[in-house]
Amino acid sequence: MNLTEPDDIQHLAAEYVLGVLTADEAAVFERRLANDGALRAAVAAWEERLSVLDRGTAPAQPRPQLWARIERTIAATRAAPSPARWPQRLWANLALWRGLAAAGVAASLLLGVYAAMRDDPRPAFTVVLAAQDRAPGWIVEISAEGDLRLTPLRDTVVGPNQALQFWTLRDPAQGPISLGLVPPDRTTRIEAARLPPVAPNQLFELTLEPAAGSPIGRPTGPILYVGRAVAVR
Amino acid sequence: MLRWPETAQPLRRMETDAHVAEEGGFDYEAVLAACARGETAALRLLYDRDAPRLLGVAMRIVRQIELAEDVVHDAFVQIWRGARTFDPARGAGRTWVYSVLRHRALNAVRARGREVLADSENLARMTDIGPNATLAAELAADAPALRRCLEALTGEQRDSILLAYLQGFSHGQIARQLNAPLGTVKSWIRRGLDALRRCLE
Repeated sequence: MNLTEPDDIQHLAAEYVLGVLTADEAAVFERRLANDGALRAAVAAWEERLSVLDRGTAPAQPRPQLWARIERTIAATRAAPSPARWPQRLWANLALWRGLAAAGVAASLLLGVYAAMRDDPRPAFTVVLAAQDRAPGWIVEISAEGDLRLTPLRDTVVGPNQALQFWTLRDPAQGPISLGLVPPDRTTRIEAARLPPVAPNQLFELTLEPAAGSPIGRPTGPILYVGRAVAVR
Repeated sequence: MLRWPETAQPLRRMETDAHVAEEGGFDYEAVLAACARGETAALRLLYDRDAPRLLGVAMRIVRQIELAEDVVHDAFVQIWRGARTFDPARGAGRTWVYSVLRHRALNAVRARGREVLADSENLARMTDIGPNATLAAELAADAPALRRCLEALTGEQRDSILLAYLQGFSHGQIARQLNAPLGTVKSWIRRGLDALRRCLE
């Protein structure tokens, strides 16, 4: 992307605000934006020019649970981290299995938040995926019907040739099962039909893998986030 | 945590602040500053005021209610966490909030492959609300300058720009919708945007 000419800056900024850049172009552009004041000014000017177009949009009524869900995510972001050991190779390390009991503590803290929000259909299971620094990184909610929702609580840097892969471990003899690649910056939903059954204490984790996912069907990269399923009562 | 808004900055700032006047006295900057201080009541105020409109904007782009609610959820979380990075010197708070939402919605359709979405029966529904038909409705009396400048564009330029902004269409989708080559659509958009910028200066 050549951004030396004023016209190029204007075109790219306008196309970014308009929304016609591809996902890759937009990602590259956003990285430039962080360090380029002229580009930021051009974007701000285009946002100001075009934003009046949003004013005539017909509003839509969110379901009542939406605010409770937002509040829960924010509360989870602030939840106190719990101590946990952190080896790089989860599946082979016994110390981690003990340490992970602590992740269950973080999850049960969150359950207090759930208990306060009875109007929201509560999930059957929740998992707090903790990062290496022990802070909650993602929250997994699995509904009574078995549908899964995975929500980021913090930013995760994923390089251009990398991807986040989501795994669960039901049976240590069988090894981890891939639940697919997930975008680092937004909620991912997985339908019950695409999930193995979930039991209390079941392990979930996110690993950093090549862009196309692990080539061998089990985790090859570092574990970024890990946690255990807690049944919601 | 019921301190807000009693101890926060007064909601109404300078009466001469144009966007504050336009938005009926809702001070987005003060609300974002309160979010940056960790006051969830401020985020709730923003939610109560803008969630339906934000959901409407998300629906227009992602066209599916569950996905649109995910987009609004993710946008509010991002607003909460990013409020301290919002810089009032760079633009209005309301514009920032809607930009966060729009980019979330665009990311969501990109992730799902919006080509697929557009090829389905959705396309038939989209054509019901063509850009020309929505133009008058979308641009009420509060945006006479933009309206005048959009009307000065060629029809193809205006349609391409409105399909992109209002419906989140990609270059490829616009090309199919308007039955024109991809390169032609790209140049309609660039020229249209150039003309728009000159006209609004």
